[in-house]
Amino acid sequence: MLEVYKKKYTKTVLQYSILDLDGKVLESDNALFSNIENKNIGDIHPFFETLIPLLSHKEKETIFSCIHLNDGEKSITSDIILQTFSDGKNPLLIIHDLTKHYNNYQTTAQVRNESVINSQILELKNTYLKEKEAFKNIFIANFSHELRDPLTGILTFTDILSKTTLNQQQKDYVKVLNSTSGFLKKMIDDILDISKIESGNLELSIEPFQFLELLNEIKFNYKIKAEQKGLEFNYNFDKRLPKIVGGDAKRLRQVLTNLLDNALKFTNTGSIDFNVSLNQIRAQKASIHFEIVDTGIGIKEENIKDIFTSFSQVSSKETYKGTGLGLAIVKYLVELTNSKVTVSSQHGKGSTFSTNINFIANTSLVVKELESKQTVEFDTSKKYNILLVENSEITQLSVLKILASQGNFFLDIATKPEEVLARISNYDNEVDLVLMDINLKDYEGDEISKQIRKLPERHQRKVPIIAVTAKVFKKDLKRYKKAGINDVLKKPFNENQLLEIIAKNLK
Amino acid sequence: MKVSKKIVLLGHFGVGKSSLIRRFVENTFSENYKVTIGVHILKKNVTIPEKNTDVSLVIWDLEGNDDINNTRFSYLLGTNAFVYVYDVTRPATYENLESELNFLKDKQKNTPITVVGNKEDLVTKAYIKQNSDNFGSLTDLYVSAKTGDKVDALFSNLAEVLIK
Repeated sequence: MLEVYKKKYTKTVLQYSILDLDGKVLESDNALFSNIENKNIGDIHPFFETLIPLLSHKEKETIFSCIHLNDGEKSITSDIILQTFSDGKNPLLIIHDLTKHYNNYQTTAQVRNESVINSQILELKNTYLKEKEAFKNIFIANFSHELRDPLTGILTFTDILSKTTLNQQQKDYVKVLNSTSGFLKKMIDDILDISKIESGNLELSIEPFQFLELLNEIKFNYKIKAEQKGLEFNYNFDKRLPKIVGGDAKRLRQVLTNLLDNALKFTNTGSIDFNVSLNQIRAQKASIHFEIVDTGIGIKEENIKDIFTSFSQVSSKETYKGTGLGLAIVKYLVELTNSKVTVSSQHGKGSTFSTNINFIANTSLVVKELESKQTVEFDTSKKYNILLVENSEITQLSVLKILASQGNFFLDIATKPEEVLARISNYDNEVDLVLMDINLKDYEGDEISKQIRKLPERHQRKVPIIAVTAKVFKKDLKRYKKAGINDVLKKPFNENQLLEIIAKNLK
Repeated sequence: MKVSKKIVLLGHFGVGKSSLIRRFVENTFSENYKVTIGVHILKKNVTIPEKNTDVSLVIWDLEGNDDINNTRFSYLLGTNAFVYVYDVTRPATYENLESELNFLKDKQKNTPITVVGNKEDLVTKAYIKQNSDNFGSLTDLYVSAKTGDKVDALFSNLAEVLIK
């Protein structure tokens, strides 16, 4: 009985063949390949051709695993053993059919290999995207940097022009110049902010500030702007709102003004509502709800997902021009507070933008007394020597004009490190403050500052240095501090900003 | 005159060894990736008219390995020429090119090796130039199994070299 079962269920998987040294099959069973006796083994399959040179080896067992053999009638995957002898015996060839086993292995290997290849491709794509993003951000930062010197010139000279005697028409022209250069400055600031945000270089600066005062200031400005456009401006500030909170006032202002600018831009008739309410105060955190509702042109549903994308403009009309960065900046800034901006809109009817932001709410919060933003004044009995290290002629002229109008300053200009050090080391005419452009033509301002800090004379070594630059990323500020720079004036700057920072740093 | 030569194709998985052989032997191509386990052996005759010789190329299509040290030694026995294939679009397949070639040279001294960058149809000439430091100096030929570019030339040149 056992023999019957064995005969029925045993599958023959091994073929034994004896060859001569030329590869002729002398003897063979027909287990896998039949009628091969007296044929050359090389004729069965090309694999065996390459075996023939090995037949003359003495006393060797060579095992070939996972060989795919296909003779036209049959296709198997096998392990092949070639055994040669040293005592004159003919070589023995054993073909072991392991097709089922290798087919299972094939499936596993297929899945594994595809997974590895896909993850390599994904990694490459990610690297490419990161490099592209990094290039874009560097380009944006460098490009906006290049614009800042000429813009400083425009702002400064518009300022200076406005202080001369002008007729009404000229005053109107100056107003236009101020407004358009202000708009240009905002665009450059926005581009730089986006670049900072996308490269992870923007952080919130959390400090106590007058929250209600900020809201009222914004409301006041936008009420005027809305009324100038013939729109109704409504506001509703919850009576429970805290007077002082801890947060980033500058960035909150940026979020709210960007949203209100957006509402103003896209609303031609009707109203804009600016609503701020308290959700709750819990564990010294105030959750505040901000909502801007307009009766503007609204947004089509298919476009809503794109409105927060950088440089995206869902309206192609010329009347709604801009960089397309305002809402992207709002989204990023709000996300920095671990929150989200939501929008609901109906095309042709209007939109509602809202968000909830958390602030620190603590009765012990105290707002630092801000220095009065009056005109900066200097000690009229003293004349200060300012050394400006700057290549740009426009900026040189701007600074010269601003300082000359004060009457307290002598201005020297240098463009090379040796000129700077020679001037500061001059005992006859001590330098009181250095304005240092960071990106000089062939030099880095922070490197020159390091050299100043190594001068032998203490009072020369300790001269106040103000970096004048558009590069104000966190890593840049760290670099300036390490170089011994005392303060940073961001380009483009206006007269007041320059004078304020000089006054702050002069001894 | 008729001679038979064993050529072994090796390299990482997914670089296109099987596709190159199928292009040469059958003049076909498929985008679908099917893993090779073990070894497939195909054969094609090439005529060298100048030498009045027919060369039977017995081409061994080895399973891909991300580490050449894992290659089954028995596969390399009796090889007349190696073709090392990498994928120009996947750095993982050529980042250890030099050490892999040294391994082969060590194991099979005096056996010629042709280094081939496959899938050149997917990249630009500028890309190839930019990567000359990565693989350019070691590569003999850039080919495409998909378009067939220089595939015949690869094997014909090999056949000529082998019967010298």
